[in-house]
Amino acid sequence: MIERDDHRLRKGFEALRREDAAGTPPFWATVAAARARQAAARGHRALRLAAAVVVAVAAVVVVSTWRERDGIRLDVDLATVRWQAPTDFLLKLPGDELLRSIPQLGLGGLDRRTL
Amino acid sequence: MSPADLTAELEHLHAAAFGWALSCCGWDRTAAEDVLQASYLKLLDGRARFDGRSSFRTFLLGVIARTAREARRRSALRRWLPLASLVLGPEAVDGRPDPAMALTRADETARLVRALGRLSTRQRQVLHLVFYEDLTIAEAATVAGVSLGTARTHYERGKAALRKLLEGERE
Repeated sequence: MIERDDHRLRKGFEALRREDAAGTPPFWATVAAARARQAAARGHRALRLAAAVVVAVAAVVVVSTWRERDGIRLDVDLATVRWQAPTDFLLKLPGDELLRSIPQLGLGGLDRRTL
Repeated sequence: MSPADLTAELEHLHAAAFGWALSCCGWDRTAAEDVLQASYLKLLDGRARFDGRSSFRTFLLGVIARTAREARRRSALRRWLPLASLVLGPEAVDGRPDPAMALTRADETARLVRALGRLSTRQRQVLHLVFYEDLTIAEAATVAGVSLGTARTHYERGKAALRKLLEGERE
């Protein structure tokens, strides 16, 4: 009974396969359509990228215009920015303050006890 | 596999591949053509490579199944996010049988297609792979991406459900 049913199912699927095969688009037409679609997709991707760049630039312009109108400016004074590396102390020599100061000659600057 | 060999293999299996794409897309012809084109592109561009672990037929049907799943996911995203179509491009999978195609079918096959449409996706896939594509249950499991035991269960339950549905349609 089950085998007979299987046979009936198999026959049904065979008929379905024959009908589908009759309506199958030609292989080379499918490949050509796929290539054409790929080229179109590339064009659309470039267009979408360009649109995204335009939107981003427009957003930056709009935001900066609003901020300037409200009196908020993003000024960065580079002269006040000083970055100190954590290893800067390694470059420090013992007694280097003597090298950075001007030696004073004359009586005012000398210890009288050493004279 | 050289590009010439690949093209020859694809041409040889084209009818079977189209039948499988139809099944994966619920017999929506336009969607099936889109899925088949996308699958061929993946293979010809080298994005999907045949490593010889299975037969080429099993590998090709697996690529088509994955591509159809991706198309369904994109379609679902498009339904939920109206603006997603701007990024994802035009709609490919409708998920409904093609009316023109349904009209040209014989009564018996039209009944079979309707009954298959009422099975679960996995049951439909396994039955299609075994009866239509002449694969073994183990090969069908590889294509559908399930274990052999799961494929066997889908096969037996699917067959019983399909028999019942076809008998119901005859009465």
